[in-house]
Amino acid sequence: MRINMIKFITKRLIIAIPTLLIIIAFGFIMMRVAPGGPFTNERALPPEIERNIQEAYNLNKPIYEQFFIYIKNLSVGDFGPSFKYKDFTVKELIISGLPVSATLGLSSIFISLILGSFLGIIAAIRKNTYFDYSIMGISLIGICVPSFVMAPILSLFFGLYLGLLPTSGWNGGNIFNLILPITALSLPQIAVISRMMRSSTIEVLNSNFIRTAKSKGLKSSYIIRKHVIRASILPIIEYLAPASAGLMTGSIIVEQIFGLPGIGRYFVVGALQRDYTLVSGVMILYASLLIILILITDILRAYLDPRVKI
Amino acid sequence: MNKQENIKAIEISKTLKGRSLWVDARRRLFLNKAAVISLFTLIIISIVSVFGPFFLQYNFSDTDWGSIYQPPSFETGHYLGTDGNGRDLLVRILHGGRLSLSIGLIATFVSVFIGVLYGTIAGFFGGKLDIFMMRIVEILYAMPYLIFVIILMVVFGRNIYFLFIAIGAVEWLTMARIVRGQTISLKEKEFIETSKALGQSNTLIIVKHIIPNLAGPIIVYITLMVPSVIILESFLSFLGLGVQEPLTSWGVLISEGSREMETAWWLLIFPGSFMVITLASLNFIGDGLRDAIDPKEY
Amino acid sequence: MQSIQKNIKNSNLLLEVNNLNVFFDTADGKIQAVKDVNLFINKGECLGIVGESGSGKTQTFFSITGLLSSNGYCNGSAIFKDFDLISASEDKKREYLGKSIGFIFQDPMTSLTPHMKIGEQLSEIATFHDNLSKSEALKRALNVLDIVKLPKSRNLINSYPHELSGGMKQRIMIAISLMCSPELIIADEPTTALDVTTQSEILNIFNDLQKGMGISIVLISHNIGVIAETSDRVMVMKGGKVVEKGSTFDVLTSPKDEYTKHLLSCIPPWLEG
Repeated sequence: MRINMIKFITKRLIIAIPTLLIIIAFGFIMMRVAPGGPFTNERALPPEIERNIQEAYNLNKPIYEQFFIYIKNLSVGDFGPSFKYKDFTVKELIISGLPVSATLGLSSIFISLILGSFLGIIAAIRKNTYFDYSIMGISLIGICVPSFVMAPILSLFFGLYLGLLPTSGWNGGNIFNLILPITALSLPQIAVISRMMRSSTIEVLNSNFIRTAKSKGLKSSYIIRKHVIRASILPIIEYLAPASAGLMTGSIIVEQIFGLPGIGRYFVVGALQRDYTLVSGVMILYASLLIILILITDILRAYLDPRVKI
Repeated sequence: MNKQENIKAIEISKTLKGRSLWVDARRRLFLNKAAVISLFTLIIISIVSVFGPFFLQYNFSDTDWGSIYQPPSFETGHYLGTDGNGRDLLVRILHGGRLSLSIGLIATFVSVFIGVLYGTIAGFFGGKLDIFMMRIVEILYAMPYLIFVIILMVVFGRNIYFLFIAIGAVEWLTMARIVRGQTISLKEKEFIETSKALGQSNTLIIVKHIIPNLAGPIIVYITLMVPSVIILESFLSFLGLGVQEPLTSWGVLISEGSREMETAWWLLIFPGSFMVITLASLNFIGDGLRDAIDPKEY
Repeated sequence: MQSIQKNIKNSNLLLEVNNLNVFFDTADGKIQAVKDVNLFINKGECLGIVGESGSGKTQTFFSITGLLSSNGYCNGSAIFKDFDLISASEDKKREYLGKSIGFIFQDPMTSLTPHMKIGEQLSEIATFHDNLSKSEALKRALNVLDIVKLPKSRNLINSYPHELSGGMKQRIMIAISLMCSPELIIADEPTTALDVTTQSEILNIFNDLQKGMGISIVLISHNIGVIAETSDRVMVMKGGKVVEKGSTFDVLTSPKDEYTKHLLSCIPPWLEG
């Protein structure tokens, strides 16, 4: 079993590597051909930055060697100097933003998964009752109100009108500063997950093996716990990676609106100011995170569904 | 009856038979109250967005320094108030609607075109080509596509036409997957085998038999893709990477509104409501269509 | 009143169903799937139910055991020993289901929970009904596997359903129904999804259960050949109604109802004997 697992992971990594290489190549090419990029002479740069970049990218060497050096640097976490924040490297910027973004992202994904699945299961068990209708109604709001509408409205209502919660700032990770951003970030995902969980649970409840479990005279709570959930949670596990991608992009907005100094905020500033090194650094970070998540998804699925071949 | 008439009769019977399925679906769709109300709402929003500005006294770019941050009022004719430059909000929302809706439609068509072509080719020819093409989709799937779009917008400038293409270019993946799956199951059906036995070319079979039979899932998916494209555009515009002044879209308005909501709540609430109502309508229509075309009891 | 008197007279009676009706709410209105069905089963007896698909034979027994889908409901009475299964509460019914009444379904491929090990699917029923510990329940499971002629192996206990063949899965299903030594086993088309050799092996197991262990069996099938091989009495259903019942020999040799005659005429002559 353990040897199989190692084989399985290596196999997945072999698929993941080209993906990552394509993304890195994309970032590399972008930096070299993009208008206003660091290696075009379209813009006059302050000499000290020019020198930094010349050194960091070995521009005198042939292009394939440059690419090789770029990958080598990336593998030790060196994303190069920032193009706009001249005293910082991209790595430093990412490290400074990481605690904020990770706190937001991880708590949102846990809250969405747990709350979304829970609400979905209950809605499925109580199908066509008022409980079901109200959960599905609320989740529809979550789906139709995008985060960039939800976040300002939340901060307008709870922050400005009711004065209950602070509307912006990180404040060292104070819990009250986190409530609104996490809510804005999780709501759409809770909505999607609860709908998915509801329909997959209904499907499982109608399946033959649940009829068998019922014919055994087992308690419904036991049937739900042992027979239903592990089968009905599979689509949610598959959704883990897309959900995280959604949270990553969502956090870009939410960090912007609530003035949180996370990676997403650097990304937007970098994009607006054409800081290509910063932008491609963040892109590579996000892509690697997603690839790791997809790997975790595969492992979880193999664990939950014995039919999946490892 | 001569030969010509015979052929005509066959043609007619064909169209009759082909329609009955759609008539059935339409009947089911119109029985769905939420879908009908949503369809009605969407049509009204579209008509008002396209023709409304002609009937209003203000222009969408007219600034009026004498009436900045006017709250909604019937007396001044600024039914939904004005913004920080004294521009009429209603006109701007309608103009934004034109842009948001047309981006939604055009980008969706771009992605449906790519997705259908890609998916049918992969599914129809199968084998190694299929594995290769789907591996590419898998790799692209693993990428943070929204971040991709942002980067594309950064690299190629904030051009509105490029926005259509950039969004279309990342949204086709799911379409390709759905179409491929459907094509594979269609390929096994007898009528395709018959066409093959009759010696029809692959192109002809794809165009005449496969794609028309994919219409159901494609239509359903379009109604679900348009809202996600609208959200994507607004998302970019919200960050300042999408539509640029003086043009406006719902995303741009919501972005402005959220910055100024402390002084003028209406700048956030009204554009937001227009957008949310549109998205909700599209969702209901999509659900209704799915149930109508592929009825499944739950 | 009548049924109670009969009960006292006939101590051999295990299950008696009276005036059973089953309805379904559908998009096209209310549909009656079972119309006024009466039947009884004695201890140690095998009752065969024949009929085409949609004749209500399966729904009759689903309604008795409370397995109807959510849009279905029923009325009438089903007295098991001295207990009415239809009017009973869910909790009360559960005490009988799986414990005294076992159910075997048509499609063994999908009737086992895919993510649970065979051992757990066998043992959970005994830990639940008979308060056995996990290891005791597993020990019993191994013994039950012997009855259904599966190897008494740890290997099997630790495998997942998808690793077994259809015939093995159906034996597991039978084993599950035997875990708490039931008095009645309802088998709904237990051999339909299996190939002919496996079919006869499974039918032999049913014969052993009935003759050797004295368990009553209801065998639901559309296949008269299967019924002829195993059941003592037979009941023919069509369109939700019972059209003919009697001892298997009588019904098969001198059918009275037109439909039964028609069914019998469908058997190819080389199978008659």
